Amino acid sequence: MITRRTFLGAGLAFTVAACTTAFGAIDLTARGREAQAIDTLLIDETIEIPGQMSLLAEANRQSLPVVGIQLDAASHAGLMNVLNKSQAIVGISSGATLFCLERMARDHGLRLTGRSQRCASDSGDDPCWRDVAALLNAAHPHAASPSPLVRAYRPSRGDGTLHIWTMQRYADPQFNHGRQEI
Amino acid sequence: MKLPHNVSQADFKAALREFANIVGDQWVYTSDEDLELYRDSYSILWGEADERTASAAVAPDNANQVVELVKIASRYRIPIYPIATGKNLGYGGSAPAIAGAVVLDLKRMNRIVEIDERHGYVVVEPGVSYFDLYNHIQEKGLKLWIDVPSPGWGSVMGNALDGGVGVTLAPYRNHFEAHCGVEVVLPNGRMMRSGMGAMPGAKTWQQFKPGFGPHVDGLFKQSNYGVVTKMGFWLMPAPENFVTGTVKVPKYRDLIALVDIIGKLEQSKIVQGLWNLSSPTTGTPPFAAHDAGAPPEPVDPAIEAILNDPAGVDMDRLDVTAQSKGLAFWACDFNFYGPEKLIKVQWECVCDAMRAIPGATFKLGAIRSLPLSPEDQAKTRDLGPFGIPTLKTFDLGPMFSYEGEDVVGHIFFSPVIPRTGEAAIEAMNLFAAIGRKYKLPGPPLQFPSTIFERAFLFAVGLPVTRSPAVNAKLRDIIRELVAVSAERGWGEYRTAPAFYDLIMGTYSYNDHALREFLETIKDAVDPNGIMSPGRYGIRSHHVR
Repeated sequence: MITRRTFLGAGLAFTVAACTTAFGAIDLTARGREAQAIDTLLIDETIEIPGQMSLLAEANRQSLPVVGIQLDAASHAGLMNVLNKSQAIVGISSGATLFCLERMARDHGLRLTGRSQRCASDSGDDPCWRDVAALLNAAHPHAASPSPLVRAYRPSRGDGTLHIWTMQRYADPQFNHGRQEI
Repeated sequence: MKLPHNVSQADFKAALREFANIVGDQWVYTSDEDLELYRDSYSILWGEADERTASAAVAPDNANQVVELVKIASRYRIPIYPIATGKNLGYGGSAPAIAGAVVLDLKRMNRIVEIDERHGYVVVEPGVSYFDLYNHIQEKGLKLWIDVPSPGWGSVMGNALDGGVGVTLAPYRNHFEAHCGVEVVLPNGRMMRSGMGAMPGAKTWQQFKPGFGPHVDGLFKQSNYGVVTKMGFWLMPAPENFVTGTVKVPKYRDLIALVDIIGKLEQSKIVQGLWNLSSPTTGTPPFAAHDAGAPPEPVDPAIEAILNDPAGVDMDRLDVTAQSKGLAFWACDFNFYGPEKLIKVQWECVCDAMRAIPGATFKLGAIRSLPLSPEDQAKTRDLGPFGIPTLKTFDLGPMFSYEGEDVVGHIFFSPVIPRTGEAAIEAMNLFAAIGRKYKLPGPPLQFPSTIFERAFLFAVGLPVTRSPAVNAKLRDIIRELVAVSAERGWGEYRTAPAFYDLIMGTYSYNDHALREFLETIKDAVDPNGIMSPGRYGIRSHHVR
């Protein structure tokens, strides 16, 4: 069980740490970056999540809030709450949902800091869930030099493609505190 | 540091300092990372020298701050570009109309100033999104509906000012037409209210649109004469029921009679809900996501072969084949709202009128009691007709690649054409031929939208890539579409900044008398040319 989740980076940078195993103890290498705790795992409920990844999310539910989203009015308030309060978020979503989330997150002071794109399957050695595990363990190997990737963000909505991503707070105070009341 | 056109670095820095004195340092954005957020994700000029990117952004909290910011901008001749929430994707997003402008980001101004259930109106600031307004109404338990565009994350005010539309009842679908009264900060920093709002202590600002004297509100739609800081909207009383009734007619050219009959029903206010065209023959779904029914049936293989003929669709052959298989060519879904007895009478009137078309068939769906339960909402494919905002439109289907490049967005070509079956057929064939010529992704035939009561709208989404070469080709295709449409007297109702001048150029009656009039107003109200220069092709004398 992961007891502390941390990922590194400031702004658009997302530095690498190393971990012993996907679910094992974490050995972080800060490389001069400030560490931030992951607050929430966001899961896009409009897509089918491979079994391995669902199990992973479920296994982490006790120590990390897992929030399902559909980008509709019913889940809007909950999503705004997460975006307002979180310092760092890991998510699993379709590309279309990520496209929307990234833009909404910007209004709440969060930026996309890492992204992996996989073809989802239920095979035992699916890189998709390993990516999630690595992100939750602050050990995402593909995020070693994410800035060009993230800066050149190309929304992809191909069928069967899952996006595993991280967002991190960059602005404080937040840009959007939610609706103001008169 | 990127600079606005004809502004010195010293002046720009001084202006930014004064902006910060008004709003606070944290609400003035100049870093590359921050300004990246104000790029148009769907820009068809992405990464090119002509891409319209901001030099800075500033985010006020209230209208008084807007007044002060506008005065500073005017003093330093800094072009400013107000955005509400900046979600106008496909028509410009958050980016300014000219490079180097300072984006005036109004997202922080997100107050619902007043909402009145008795008279059915709301007054909002620019940063109020459809989600915000919907949730406010739900939390307060008000018996009111909003009319939402697809998607619903944009600003209520911004959508209206850009000419946005929704999908419920006709009086509410055209969002600018559904507004009543604006508060606007003029380019000289003076605040003005329109209509009855011009009277101090007015009691009917949101109840009587015309006011006294000229109705000036239209000057602030798709224009650059001021920063709108408050706007009233009429809201729809929450209806008791909803139902969709479907009329099917067998032949391709039955469309002509179908449209004429519906036109009379709409002009008589018997049909007020949105109606959507689809085709059981071609499998073409209703326009965009605005249907509440089931997905169309799979296409018959014989039909598919005709549809995919590289030489184009032979409509006569298609018609004969469809009839031999007992397929109706057109299906028309009518949405009805209100008391059950009213819905039934309206449906009877529709059926009576449509029986004039031989072979027409009729089916009324199950009447759904409102409001929808959360379970019903979850099961409903498109919540737009129920006045519920969503972002599901982004999940409509996979994006295609075009010319070997990933498609990262779309840009709309949106001509308005006459509300006749003849014009619809001509437009469908014309746009389909151009689509084939350039191998554009999309269905072989696209049908018109019926959102406007007296004219058809085509909203043809063309792909946008990150390749300058491919985007250049797409810009040429849009120019061709605009030209062939203008030859037929069809004009665009809205466009992306890259085409403002092109489209304004087509409204050229009497040697561009309209543009000249708009620019005369521009020079009078904005002599320093600071307000959204170039927006919708309206330029001040400095940059003409």
